[in-house]
Amino acid sequence: MKRNAWIGLGRLWLGLAYAFMFLPLVVLILFSLQANRFPGFPLQGWTLQWYARLFDDGTLIAALGHTMIVSPAAASVATIIAFLAGYALNRFTFPGKTALLGLVTLPIIIPPLILGVGFLGLLARIHLSGTLLAVFLTHVVLITAPALAIIQLRLSQMPKALEEAAWDLGASEWQAVRRVVLPFALPGILGAWLLAFTFSFDEFIIAWFVSGFDQTLPVAIYSVLVAAIDPSLNAIGTIVFAMSCAVLIALEVLLIPYLIRKPDA
Amino acid sequence: MSQLAPQTAPVPDLELVQVSKMFGDFLAVDTVDLSVAPGEFVAIMGPSGCGKTTLLRILAGLESVTYGQVKIRGRDVSAVPVNRRTTRLVWQNYALFPHLDVAGNIAFGLTLGRHDKAAVAGKVAQMGALVGLDDFMTRPIGQLSGGQKQRVALARALVTEPDILLLDEPLSALDAHLRIRMQAELRRIQQQLGMAFIYVTHNQHEAFSMADRVAVMNRGRIEQLDTPEVLYATPKTEFVARFVGSNNILPGTLAGYDGDVAVVTCAHGPVRVADAQGLAAGTRVVVAIAAEKLRRGLRAGDNTVPAVMRGREFAGSHNVFLMDLADGTEIKVVSHDGAIPDYGAEERLCFAPEDASLIRGAK
Repeated sequence: MKRNAWIGLGRLWLGLAYAFMFLPLVVLILFSLQANRFPGFPLQGWTLQWYARLFDDGTLIAALGHTMIVSPAAASVATIIAFLAGYALNRFTFPGKTALLGLVTLPIIIPPLILGVGFLGLLARIHLSGTLLAVFLTHVVLITAPALAIIQLRLSQMPKALEEAAWDLGASEWQAVRRVVLPFALPGILGAWLLAFTFSFDEFIIAWFVSGFDQTLPVAIYSVLVAAIDPSLNAIGTIVFAMSCAVLIALEVLLIPYLIRKPDA
Repeated sequence: MSQLAPQTAPVPDLELVQVSKMFGDFLAVDTVDLSVAPGEFVAIMGPSGCGKTTLLRILAGLESVTYGQVKIRGRDVSAVPVNRRTTRLVWQNYALFPHLDVAGNIAFGLTLGRHDKAAVAGKVAQMGALVGLDDFMTRPIGQLSGGQKQRVALARALVTEPDILLLDEPLSALDAHLRIRMQAELRRIQQQLGMAFIYVTHNQHEAFSMADRVAVMNRGRIEQLDTPEVLYATPKTEFVARFVGSNNILPGTLAGYDGDVAVVTCAHGPVRVADAQGLAAGTRVVVAIAAEKLRRGLRAGDNTVPAVMRGREFAGSHNVFLMDLADGTEIKVVSHDGAIPDYGAEERLCFAPEDASLIRGAK
């Protein structure tokens, strides 16, 4: 049948698209478990030696540890700032509102290279350069903007009457925020945190400028890569990928049922 | 004053003294005086933009007054913030909290301060029963119909035992049948609780079927405040005459009085209207006649107006004829007999002097 041919072709196309997206990951996982020193065929047998080496050496694991301190902390602080700013921008009109919004979103537009140079100069002057705290601070600046965008979008969907109704029923400003605005914004807050975390986790350029000896994972990977081709990189990549999968699956199981519940008009 | 709010009455539930509200240069509420007796149901009616919702928000404390006083049970609350007022508002779109279920929404106002969980649960259940939601208490808000949401909004406000309940077009999002059922139910609940209700609407049927008194608002002012019957029979301003009922308006000039009957010169000739206002001859006036008070044909002692048949609306139990006067004024005539004049036919319409109202014309 002609129709079936088209459907088959469509499926093939879809398969190619998926392959294009996932082939690098497959290669990564495959060669993390292969004895080959260089990623290439023929395969030379299965092994866990790269993982063993990864843990023996400890540099990349330590970097992963640094990242797992910096990124969640930066994402949390950025999300708190973003919620407060988003709430203010959504509720009040005040002089300088547009300027403030522009200022917060500026780090998105400025090339990270320029920001990195700027941060390096500033942080060196206040003797923070080369510390994890420096990475944390710079990442907060960088990821507040996307977090704000998401939270503000969610807050802008909240009918004004909702907060007014809380006041009308006797709630103080604080009670209204805690018991009505926060629950309403929660999907946005979770989404913002996740995005901010991902941005921070991936961020290389600025972290490379300011991290010094306490390297974050992307910086450490780069350092290893510059020195030599080391299949341990495949191993750490696989571990991070597995962690991402676990987090994403957990989020979908926990969060999606909450998110797809329709907000009340 | 109407007999429903006599001067000797106890402290009114609500009293507005010269209340005005400016938004920049725009006068949204203009010197409104209003007194609501204990347990009275007052509807505030007017076209959109007349200031009725702003007035309601002032009562709730969501807007401040620019000038004047708001008194609730004798206490000046003009400076009291919204969350300390003893009024509750029911929103047009309900404004229910989407993350809470029915019981959670109803309980909201009771759980803000120190509270006894068991007592709250008891009150919530009782209020759920009053509005007929007993079987839905654990439903999420998203799974309710419009009518059910309306009941939740009502229960959520009533359970806090306010002095006054404020309602902002609460039925406008419901379909026609449900609206009529809810009207009856609102009135029943109001009577049962003996609570003062202030009900804002643009819908005359809602206002007239529920309220003890109706205030008609236009451009920030209350043009007339009366019982529905008085409002319908004797509109005091041209705006009220046009807004309320299906009145026909004949503009003219007052020629003089013949006893207690005013003689008005209209475009088609003189019209006699029973009137005791004693306006000066030469005053610009309008004559308002309800559509169902106009009859086809001639009758001794009645005013006669020539008109041309233009169209017809069939309303089931009756016809509404649309006719034009010689000067182009459009006239509506309600007719209960089956006869339908030909389009374009000359008709004679008559009405008794006591069935019309004389209103001083707008400038």
